[in-house]
Amino acid sequence: MDRQQPLSTNKDSGTATNLDVDRSQQYEIRIRGHLDERWSDWFGGMAITLDDDGDTLLTGPVVDQAALYGLLRKVRDAGMSLYSVNPVEPDK
Amino acid sequence: MGSAYITSSLKQQTGLLYDCPMPTPILATKLYLPPVRSKFVARPRLIQRMDEGLDHKLTLISAPAGFGKSTLASEWVTASGRPAGWLLLDEGDNDPTRFLAYLVAALKTVTDKTGPTTFGAEVLGLLESPQPAPTESIVTALLNEIAAIPENFILVLDDYHVIDTEPANSALAFLLEHLPPQMHLVITTREDPNLPLARLRVRNQLTELRAADLRFTPSEAATFLNQVMGLSLTEADVSALEIRTEGWIAGLQLAALSMQGRADTASFIQSFTGSHRFVMDYLVEEVLHQQPESIQTFLLYTSILDRLCGPLCDAVLNGGADSSAAQSGQEVLAYIEQANLFLVPLDNERRWYRYHHLFADLLRQRLYQRAALSPDDEPGVALLHIRASQWHEENGSTADAVRHALAADDFERVARLAELAWPAMDGQFQSAAWMEWVQRLPDDLVRARPVLCVAYAWAYLNAGEMEAGAVWLRDAERRMDTSPPASESDDRPMVVVDEKQFQTLPASIATAWAYIAQARGDIPSSVTHAQRALDLLPEDDYLRRGPAAGLLGLAQWTIGDLEDAYRTIAHAMATFESIGSVVFALSGTFGMGDIRVAQGRLREAIGVYARAKELADRLGEPAPPGTADIHLGLSKIYREQGLLEAAEEEMQKNEALGEKAALGDWPYRLRRAQAQVKVDEGDLDGALALLDEAARLYYPTPVPDLRPIGALKAQVWLAQGRLADAQAWAVERGLSVNDELSFLHEFEHIILARILMAQNQNGPAVALLERLLQAAERGERRGSEIEIRVALALAHQAQNEIPAALAVLARALDLAEPEGYVRIFVGEGDPMRILLEEAAAASISPVYVGRLRAAFGEPEVSAPVNQPSNQPLVEPLSDRELDVLKRLGSELSGPEIAETLMISLNTLRTHTKNIYSKLSVNSRRAAVSQAQELGLL
Repeated sequence: MDRQQPLSTNKDSGTATNLDVDRSQQYEIRIRGHLDERWSDWFGGMAITLDDDGDTLLTGPVVDQAALYGLLRKVRDAGMSLYSVNPVEPDK
Repeated sequence: MGSAYITSSLKQQTGLLYDCPMPTPILATKLYLPPVRSKFVARPRLIQRMDEGLDHKLTLISAPAGFGKSTLASEWVTASGRPAGWLLLDEGDNDPTRFLAYLVAALKTVTDKTGPTTFGAEVLGLLESPQPAPTESIVTALLNEIAAIPENFILVLDDYHVIDTEPANSALAFLLEHLPPQMHLVITTREDPNLPLARLRVRNQLTELRAADLRFTPSEAATFLNQVMGLSLTEADVSALEIRTEGWIAGLQLAALSMQGRADTASFIQSFTGSHRFVMDYLVEEVLHQQPESIQTFLLYTSILDRLCGPLCDAVLNGGADSSAAQSGQEVLAYIEQANLFLVPLDNERRWYRYHHLFADLLRQRLYQRAALSPDDEPGVALLHIRASQWHEENGSTADAVRHALAADDFERVARLAELAWPAMDGQFQSAAWMEWVQRLPDDLVRARPVLCVAYAWAYLNAGEMEAGAVWLRDAERRMDTSPPASESDDRPMVVVDEKQFQTLPASIATAWAYIAQARGDIPSSVTHAQRALDLLPEDDYLRRGPAAGLLGLAQWTIGDLEDAYRTIAHAMATFESIGSVVFALSGTFGMGDIRVAQGRLREAIGVYARAKELADRLGEPAPPGTADIHLGLSKIYREQGLLEAAEEEMQKNEALGEKAALGDWPYRLRRAQAQVKVDEGDLDGALALLDEAARLYYPTPVPDLRPIGALKAQVWLAQGRLADAQAWAVERGLSVNDELSFLHEFEHIILARILMAQNQNGPAVALLERLLQAAERGERRGSEIEIRVALALAHQAQNEIPAALAVLARALDLAEPEGYVRIFVGEGDPMRILLEEAAAASISPVYVGRLRAAFGEPEVSAPVNQPSNQPLVEPLSDRELDVLKRLGSELSGPEIAETLMISLNTLRTHTKNIYSKLSVNSRRAAVSQAQELGLL
């Protein structure tokens, strides 16, 4: 696994998706249905925001690709419907 | 089991102290076909599709959690009437060895339905050998065994999504690629497996059932809610629920549970369908609230368990206090199963259960939250884990006890459990699993525990990490040091849990140092440490004396102290025998036999093997490991004595018994012995090919490698006249006539002398051989002496010093006659024949010399080497034989050819034999050139 290597840089949106070991990337994971606050622990402390369309946004730092896949696996194992995964600028 | 207590890891690494195979422990609950509920929703549309797919290789049921995948698979399998095996996978199965062991166990439930079979024996043998074969060869062996199953059957791999490592996955991919037609594979998974699905689809070998197929249709939802769950909902209610849950079965089941016993189902449906909340969040809460307080608590507390049984649940709930609960854990479990609360039975006796994974996850989440919200009223999650750990400890399941102790961060407890578990786990070759626990502990905690330190050191030694092992040994020694406390901050009090291990700790440490020294090639200190260990141990501590004595014997053997080595090893083996460990006792045979051969005592070596054979026969069928080696050893000796028929007979017995009945390094020694046969038959290329194969199979053990492959190859090169190659070997090995001599390198130096003789530098050769001779005489190694004298006599002969040659030879003949040596002289060919004529003229050992001279004729005259034949074949080759022949012309090895043709090695041998006989050749190379000549290739 090449954790050190930058994965890609999305030049169009200007969003940095470089994944450094020492610099986590902020991610936003959209899931169908409103989750209780208690899922925050399950998702390793990701912030939970509910939107009006009935979706939940999990937002927080993800240290590398392995961690991101780990989160997606948790979504899978909880039987949730995954809608999207996006890198975002911190303090958006 | 006696051998399980023999604590040293030596047996794992040495061919001498053979490791007796310990099967991977198999949990029967992983192989249990989940029963079909008495009331369930019949799903004919899915069953029909699966029936139609029965002729395909694979049925893939791929959908998220809670879509009824396992239920469907078990319903179908039960209804199909075909024999079926079931394997519920978990994360541990990412270890390909464990995965394959379970695969065999699951298949064995199919073959054993009509009585026990030997199915899987060969595969398990391969898995348990100290140097496991490549996964593909193991799967090939498994495929061969599957192909022999007489009936059609189904195998279900449940929860395949837990497999996320390449080795396990590629093992399955290979299996699938070559799947015999009688087997149909079913995979249930939450995500598509990394198998060549597209290719299977195109070839119409795949039936797929996905979320869209699995979700309940409105009519199935109605049947489920109203008939199975006993509700009476209107069509509109059912439809609303179906839409809200999108046919998700777990959701519908939870919804039904929430409504059971509720008068106003309409208002429930209204608020549920009107809510945006995640279906599970909403419903689990509802379901829990429907249950009495005691059941809620039960569900939450026991959600930390992977597997549940009544007494374990009692322990977790009450912590062993007298049960004030109205109901026992067993009763509650029965109630929960009855209530459809996502409890899956794991056996027919309804003893073990597990929660549906998704349900357990949600319960656990609530448990953590509740414990965090009201820390005073609740017994904390850690305490629950400790209770579970205690129960597992009392019930002999150390691995579970440790897992829960780790979950509770109770490191002291883990340390205690690990210290107590070490002897048994080491005896069962679970050193690596044990090490994973201890690696989780803070180093300081381990350092305070000398017994644990030493065990940790051994675990590292088992893993081949000598440096790390040495570090922990030194820590243990420091801790044991009774001199005034060091000034360091090292002031933790010493902790000892296992007094018995503690008492013998100094001996155990000494044995470990001996082991490290041996591995580093520092033989003198290995002897010192092993001797010290034996001095420290009481005479009757057979368990610990065995390994120390074994090491000492190996060290003495390595330095050529043969008589002491023989005695030490014989004593160690007698010790093993006296504690009932016959397999270990057998394991020393080969070493003892080899030592006697080096001592030139062939008849005693035969005696060693005869006694070992008696011991093996006493164990009966199946022949214990080491039995094949006995026949291999005998074959070599008979060959030395010129008894070719007897040698061939023993070789056949050896090969028929095969690897299953052999010690770890048998494949290597077999090739070496076969190469010798080829040399005797004049097939030198064949001999080189076998030696190359042997080199590939070689792995270092503390057993001295006295005849390294490189030297054996150089010997063959000399016979072929490839002097430059032989010279290059000597240069590469840095050999010189002025080297200090040692027993370990004796053979290499003999070959160096032979190279010098081939270069006509007989002077330096004689000087070197004379030094070698003196060393062999000092060590009373008469076998070596004969070998050296033969070379020396030939060197003198080459210098035309016939009287000197005869003088040297006469002593060799004296030593060799009573032991019946033949090959060592006859194998030298013409120069020796001429020299023996001189010996006959000089009336040296007349009877023996006469016999040797008579023995010369035979191999020369009848050697059927590469007889060129242009005749068309009397008996044409079959298609299969042509397939084999084509591959014989390639670079592939025998096992590789067997693999590509999907046949066993034995079958390949049969084909090869037929080909050779039809082509009138006796080697692979000759077969290929003959076939080319005949235009067959």
